[in-house]
Amino acid sequence: MKSEKLLRSRNNQRRDSPSLSSWVQMHRRTALQSWQRLLKTPASSFATIFVIAVGLLLPALLYGVSSNLSSVLDNLNGSAQISLFMDRGSTASELRLVREDLLFDDAISNVELISSEQALEEFSAATGLSEISQQLSDNPLPATLVVTPMDADPQSVATLAARLGATPHVELVQVDSQWIQRLTAVSRLVAVSGQILTIVIVLGLFFIVGNTIRLAIENRRDEIRVVKLVGGTDAFAARPFLYAGMYYGLGGGMLATMLQFAVVIGFNSALQDLLQLYESNFHLQGFGFTSIAALVLGGGAIGWLGALLASFRQIAAIDP
Amino acid sequence: MIKFDNVSKRYAGGHEALSAISFEISKGEMAFITGRSGAGKSSLLKLILAMERASTGAVFVDGVNINRLSRRQIAQHRRKIGAVFQDHQLLFDRSVFDNVALPLEICGYRPQDARRRVRAALDKVGLLRKERLYPEMLSGGEQQRVGIARAVVNRPSIILADEPTGNLDPDLSTDVMNVFQQFRDVGVSLLVASHDISLISKLNCRTITLEAGKITEDYSAGGGS
Repeated sequence: MKSEKLLRSRNNQRRDSPSLSSWVQMHRRTALQSWQRLLKTPASSFATIFVIAVGLLLPALLYGVSSNLSSVLDNLNGSAQISLFMDRGSTASELRLVREDLLFDDAISNVELISSEQALEEFSAATGLSEISQQLSDNPLPATLVVTPMDADPQSVATLAARLGATPHVELVQVDSQWIQRLTAVSRLVAVSGQILTIVIVLGLFFIVGNTIRLAIENRRDEIRVVKLVGGTDAFAARPFLYAGMYYGLGGGMLATMLQFAVVIGFNSALQDLLQLYESNFHLQGFGFTSIAALVLGGGAIGWLGALLASFRQIAAIDP
Repeated sequence: MIKFDNVSKRYAGGHEALSAISFEISKGEMAFITGRSGAGKSSLLKLILAMERASTGAVFVDGVNINRLSRRQIAQHRRKIGAVFQDHQLLFDRSVFDNVALPLEICGYRPQDARRRVRAALDKVGLLRKERLYPEMLSGGEQQRVGIARAVVNRPSIILADEPTGNLDPDLSTDVMNVFQQFRDVGVSLLVASHDISLISKLNCRTITLEAGKITEDYSAGGGS
């Protein structure tokens, strides 16, 4: 009777024991042990982390290039303009009238008039050929109306340009947006190839992490056997390996962030020299908190999932 | 507690390790299995631990048919059993303390509770002072006792032991048997495979003799109940 009572209280104790806090403690301990295990073989751990970092760096850089390109393009698109070169016979008052008419057009936000005299002055100032221009008997440059469309997207700019061809006194319509369209197409290509590359590389990273974890499991076969013999589930046996995979991924993500910074700092100084020539104060972007977090957490998730895929079947196959 | 119902175990090569075994161990009973090596002692223990599956017949533990357990249930089932293995099955990269703590870790004990229990178990087998050492620093007999401490640390309702005194001198063997008897006295069922006839005869317990996979003798003394 006494012994039965003892047994029962013992069983109750056992059932109560795995509470939430002990579950957290158990995870913390496993996490720490996995971490210490990685530190025991620093060279091979770093090699794995480095490979993951390089893998993550490639799509990250491509993404950076495409997002920077598209922000540049947004700026350019916003400033899309249509130049209307006017008939040289048209008088100043006729030009003013045309301009006022155009200002009533809903598709147009602004029209600037550059008279032929102004154009010649600008030309002289810009080229330093004032002497030559002074020798000209009459001004060869036409007056220009610079139209800023309401809607900057290439399609509607093209429609507007076609329509403006019918405006009185207009001799030639010129849209300087074709190169923007080409650049947009290039940027889209970069973005798409970045996405494809990301998929391929993520698959590759799964294999790399999986392979590393598989080796680790093979090295600790006996331990897994013993764990199972004393009642450990497959999930319990897999847990340290999942942590290891996650550490590899997180480490790879962090290293990739650092490498990305290094690349961009090097690249940025060269880029600033170039941009100075264009008097632009454009700055590279794509290093906000979000992109860093995406790289690090994405790396961690890839590592964890890679370890999960690799470990589950293999651990289940170790049968004591 | 443990019931074998006409159990046979045939291995892939056609070798029959156990044939038509039937017996029952009740709660709080301690029994020995003897027989020459190869008589099927280890196979019998492996069936109870669900390391092997019976070819025919059924093994019941606590009324549950072991053959029908899922993977997860097998893990749960093994937590009720403390097993002492002939080859110790210790982890060589963990200290003695951590080896004994493993079953508690698996069951999710809080470290402070686990510490108390591990110390108590190590004290029982006389290894409390060696808790910080690693298994490879210990003698074969000490490793065996670490295995025993690990088997009892979770206060299982069944203890299985395969040659638990194989590496121990007579004094230590008697100590280990005393530990086992303490557990029997609080209602634990024990099944001990051994060919240490002199030790067994001293204890006056139920003894099942196996020969070529068959029970040839089931001697019951007053030791049961």
